[in-house]
Amino acid sequence: MTTTTNAAEDLADVDRVLAGDVQAFEGIVRRWQGPLVNMAWRYCRDRSRAEELAQEAFVRAWRGLSGWRRDSSFSTWLFALAANVYRSDLKRFPTVTLPIDEAPELSRPATQHHALAAQQSSDSVRRAVLALPTRYREPVILFYFHEMDVAAAARTMGLPEGTVKARLSRARALLRSRFPHLEGEHAAMEFGDLNTGKEAGR
Amino acid sequence: MKQTRKHQSDAEHNEIDRILATEDALVPSSGFLASVMDHVQEEAAAPAPIPFPWKRALPGAIVIVGTFGAGAFEMVRQGLPTASEFALTAPHISAVMERPLEQVGWIALALGVSLFSWLLSNRLAGRAGLL
Repeated sequence: MTTTTNAAEDLADVDRVLAGDVQAFEGIVRRWQGPLVNMAWRYCRDRSRAEELAQEAFVRAWRGLSGWRRDSSFSTWLFALAANVYRSDLKRFPTVTLPIDEAPELSRPATQHHALAAQQSSDSVRRAVLALPTRYREPVILFYFHEMDVAAAARTMGLPEGTVKARLSRARALLRSRFPHLEGEHAAMEFGDLNTGKEAGR
Repeated sequence: MKQTRKHQSDAEHNEIDRILATEDALVPSSGFLASVMDHVQEEAAAPAPIPFPWKRALPGAIVIVGTFGAGAFEMVRQGLPTASEFALTAPHISAVMERPLEQVGWIALALGVSLFSWLLSNRLAGRAGLL
């Protein structure tokens, strides 16, 4: 319902902007500022840069609004445009990241408080995503940004779904190889759960 | 054993999924909307880019193309009598014939490269939003 309303509002605002009403673009920015800033954040992990990138994406969208052919939804067009902006900007000014092989490993969670260890795990995995080679990094970013929708990620990148799936699989393998400790930990947790289940079943 | 391995892999997949999918949403700063609209207003107020003066450039372009065309034609034309004037053996005639043709080839190549570079620069300028 919200999506349909958004689509209708987008369409109306785009028509008004194309008719010369610049102020109508505010509605588009209002609706999409959150997603575009969050998407940029996932690309660079720098709040101020994320806002700059999102702003640039909106300005480009405004310039190229007449280029939206309406064969796809406005959001698909906007996300694809934003991804292009973010990708080319990060190519020119890369974020300071270590290669994935040099990304810091997790310290042993057993020695730390569980919540802190979980937070560290999350941070390390997210940093490792930024350290992935570009061709694998973007599918991961967009897959999770689109709430694990491969088709949406593929549309945003303008790639076939099969290619995105293959790159996601490779990215996961790289992350897995980087975090064997995490794998072990969770496997252990799972085995623990299984054992507990067995115990309970007895 | 196989099932255990699968279970292990699923658990790890789910963990990576869980970490990467549970991202805290970033709220744009309060001035973000205003800042974007300022930029858009600036863009809207800026004078439209000057379109390429095709009307003025067209006669010049026709003259250039005509000159090149005439030059190429003249080269080919001058090459032909030269070849027929000499009573040379077949291999020699073909060598004489080849020269102007080779020159025409070079000219065609140069024109092709010019056209390609023009198209490329137009495309790049278009992508960058300069046109």
